[in-house]
Amino acid sequence: MEGPSFSLPVTRIRPLWLAPGRRGSAGDAESDRELKTHFRVCRFIMETGVKLGMRSVPVATACVLYHRFFERVKLQAYEPYLVAMSCVYLAGKVEEQHTRTRDIINVSHRYFNSGSAPLECDKEFWDLRDSVVQCELLILRQLNFQVSFEHPHKYLLHYLLSVKSLVNRHAWSRTPIAETSWALLRDCYHGALCISHTPQHIAVATLHLALNSYGVELPVGEKEWWQVLCVDVTKADIDSVISDLLQLYDMEAKCI
Amino acid sequence: MDRDLLRQCLTYHGESLFNKLKCEQTENPDFQAVVSDLCKATCERSEERKRGCTNCKSDGQDSPLVEQFIARKADILFCPAWKTATHQEEEHEQEEDAAEPYAIMPPVELFMAVSFEERRAMLYRDLEKGDIVVGKINNIREYGFFLTLLCTAGGLKRDIEDLELSALCHIREIPSTGSHDDPLSYYQIGDFIRAAVKDIDRYQEKITVSLLQPSLSPTLEHIKLGVFPREELPIHYSRSVCAAADSTETYECILKSCHGYHNPSVVEYLLEKVGVSDTHPPSMMRGLQSKLFQEEDFASAIRKRQSASWALKCVRAGVDHFKHGRHVEAMNEYNKALDIDTNNVEALVARGALYANKGSILKAITDFELALESCPDHRNAKKYLCQTLVERGKQLEEQEKLVTAEGLYRRALSLDDLNPDAQEALNKITDTIQVSIRLREEALAKEQEKATSSQISAEKLRKILKEEKRMKKKRKRSASSSSSSTTSSRNSSPSSSNSSRRRSKKKKKRRRRSERGSKRNRRISSKESRRSEGKSEKDRREEEEEVEWYPAPPNTSATFLNQKGGPRFGERDEEEVVGKAAEDKRICQLYSLSAASEDEESDSSRREKKGRDREESRRNSLSRSPEREERGSRSSDRRDESSERGKQGNGKDQRGSDSKRRSSSDENRQRKASCSSAEAEYSRKSNFNPEYLGISGSAESRMRHDSSQRNSFDGGRYENRVRQDIPVVEEAKGEKDRKGNVENSSSSRSAGNRKKSEGAVNHNKQSSLTSVPGGSAKKDLPSNLLDIFNQIAKFEKEKGVGPK
Repeated sequence: MEGPSFSLPVTRIRPLWLAPGRRGSAGDAESDRELKTHFRVCRFIMETGVKLGMRSVPVATACVLYHRFFERVKLQAYEPYLVAMSCVYLAGKVEEQHTRTRDIINVSHRYFNSGSAPLECDKEFWDLRDSVVQCELLILRQLNFQVSFEHPHKYLLHYLLSVKSLVNRHAWSRTPIAETSWALLRDCYHGALCISHTPQHIAVATLHLALNSYGVELPVGEKEWWQVLCVDVTKADIDSVISDLLQLYDMEAKCI
Repeated sequence: MDRDLLRQCLTYHGESLFNKLKCEQTENPDFQAVVSDLCKATCERSEERKRGCTNCKSDGQDSPLVEQFIARKADILFCPAWKTATHQEEEHEQEEDAAEPYAIMPPVELFMAVSFEERRAMLYRDLEKGDIVVGKINNIREYGFFLTLLCTAGGLKRDIEDLELSALCHIREIPSTGSHDDPLSYYQIGDFIRAAVKDIDRYQEKITVSLLQPSLSPTLEHIKLGVFPREELPIHYSRSVCAAADSTETYECILKSCHGYHNPSVVEYLLEKVGVSDTHPPSMMRGLQSKLFQEEDFASAIRKRQSASWALKCVRAGVDHFKHGRHVEAMNEYNKALDIDTNNVEALVARGALYANKGSILKAITDFELALESCPDHRNAKKYLCQTLVERGKQLEEQEKLVTAEGLYRRALSLDDLNPDAQEALNKITDTIQVSIRLREEALAKEQEKATSSQISAEKLRKILKEEKRMKKKRKRSASSSSSSTTSSRNSSPSSSNSSRRRSKKKKKRRRRSERGSKRNRRISSKESRRSEGKSEKDRREEEEEVEWYPAPPNTSATFLNQKGGPRFGERDEEEVVGKAAEDKRICQLYSLSAASEDEESDSSRREKKGRDREESRRNSLSRSPEREERGSRSSDRRDESSERGKQGNGKDQRGSDSKRRSSSDENRQRKASCSSAEAEYSRKSNFNPEYLGISGSAESRMRHDSSQRNSFDGGRYENRVRQDIPVVEEAKGEKDRKGNVENSSSSRSAGNRKKSEGAVNHNKQSSLTSVPGGSAKKDLPSNLLDIFNQIAKFEKEKGVGPK
């Protein structure tokens, strides 16, 4: 899977993201660095999203926009954090939760200069704002204006309700499965697994992991619950998502 | 750490997890506390496994990675705070089916093909008292009826149709509508019944249900029990019927065909239903624990701070403008600041100060109050509000609204109980209120006596005015605002005789001064105009609302400029800051005075000082009321005499007044009168502010300028005239009561106003006989007086433009 040709960033970057565990030794130092950069930038998007009061879906869209953008261009070509800011801005528009550039710039500025005073209304501010808007246009062009994505969130929530009916209500209310699966789902946007797996698979996998974590057992019939919820998912798919996801948690320890 | 959850997890995962946990959570004291307890659980589990009871599928398949993950994140996963959702029962579908907010899915076990026994066991395990079941009546007996259960409703969604469950509804559990009816007669075999579970016998597998509303669990209370039509069958049931009938239907197909699935806000809706917060979203990443984020890093907090700092910048620019006298720009900046940051305290205080400076006392008060609302300890806001309240109180006092004024003073004192102005004003007003009550009846009696004589003096006044009109055409001065310049300090001490007297002296001086410096004049007059705004009658107040309205920044310029004169606030500010403790005069007065005296040549300032000294002594002497009253009556006796004098040429008067100016105390009284006359004109002018506003700015300002000059020349004449005016006052009042005719208006043009102001002044300082009626007349000033005033204003305008 690892393309030997370094001239094509798409083939080089993408497979490495998709299978970070299967890295060889050659040229991996750089790709590892890139992975870590992407992880940090996604962390930045998430944190900014929370501070901006964005809901989960717009944040997810921002991350997907980011990953898709760097799927097409070299990381060295553009400043990833600026791209991230523009992604947040664009995602707000796409998901109808408009965020003002001023807030994005403010939060980002404080993210990079923690404890600093808010920006003055001067040329620096307006330049920043201009670059965010310009970069937004760049992203749009790079993605061919295809900026709306299907997210696992909807699936996960419906699955949660269905699974809830299977479980005794007291057991359910004692076990924070909803929180855990939602957290896992949000966290999976740190990596490119959010664009390399289908939404349903991600939803099933996160729910699976959440149930697993608390040792909640569901009744078994002729089919497993996940087979019912998503017809084409296999145990291997779930495991692959989970392993990608767990990689991200390992990465956190390495990156931050 | 949640011990039960951890045990449940360990039971599931076994010893390998336990070992990993011990390894990963060595530093977690919470884990150490429960570790021995958990040891048992894992032992049990391994025993179970030996017995082969556990479900083998989970073993071996669980990758060590997952266990590693659980072990590492155990402190998050099993933290009691992690569970944010509160257990909430689902709404009944019946409410939702009209607009299905999310896809209501048939129970999953239908697709999973869970075995009959297991499902039956699950139902008996999970069904609880108070739940709702839906069934069809299959048998009716004398002691009740039997239901075949079709599905559950409410929270629990299970596929139970084929479980062959039946439930008994006893006759006692059926609500009876009439005392003699058999409740069972309402039910027929095949009816769909919604019933609450009353009891479950898990051993004998018997379910009894009830149709009585109280047997429902509290969360489901709103659901109506009893017979219902087929269309009201729960959605998940009808969907599961469809799914069971068509084996090609999958969960996903149904999900995507659901209306609710395409609801754009389905995620938000379901998140709330599930109980997960999206504003503080959960995360397993340690760096993303949103509780660790600092509040001041959030967008709203930064924006707030940033807005405040940007607004403060504007305020600073505004203050700068203000200090340079560019009031329009200053106001624009303040408004901009408030646009950026609504309720910015500094901007509100600065704008309030500007308003106060410009005479919009009510607006100023509003601004200060707003500022204090968001920042109750703002020193300047408190101080300014206190001062403005005192000022407003004094205005009200002049309008004879003593009680309201008193209230304002009290409020000012409550803000700053050391404020000497407020204290003084409050003391005075309480005295005044008592005095005025005493004097009112007396005054009313006197008023009637005077009515006859006033008629005569009115005639005289008319003649004088006509003559004056003719004379004025030769001169090029307007009378309109001139007099106002003299009265600047009038408002400052409305209630006390002594202070007004002192002011009158000053006024005279100022009048003289005004001859020299037209610029200063304008400044003073502007102040006058501001004073006047608040001072006049009741209806003034309503007018003020409109007149004093400052348009939005871009438009402010014209009206704003015309109304207002030169800079004063900066001075005021400084003055206030510096030494305000000792002053017993009003600040504004000080400003005008100090501003003037700075420009003044040495002799004039000397004179002023002298005047002040004199005034001081006067204040002392005048505090004795009997003397005052005597004097008041004396002055009224002389009125006729003085009116005769008023007819004389005004050049002579001017000279005369000049000579008189420095002399006796008797003359002081005259001056007082003149002062009041000036005030009157001034107040009249203020009455017509709306009209004046209409005039182009240049014209108005020129007029004011002219008038102030003229006034300085006319001082003496006015003095004389005033005496004769006093009787006219009564007459004019009478007219007013009669809804005075227009004919009179021209003759009494100044008289009426004079009367008003005179009334106020007299009343306050001398409690003379005329004063009280004057005051009362002011109160019931009829609207048609406005017409008269309009005419006067027009006349004045002509005068102002014409002569010279």
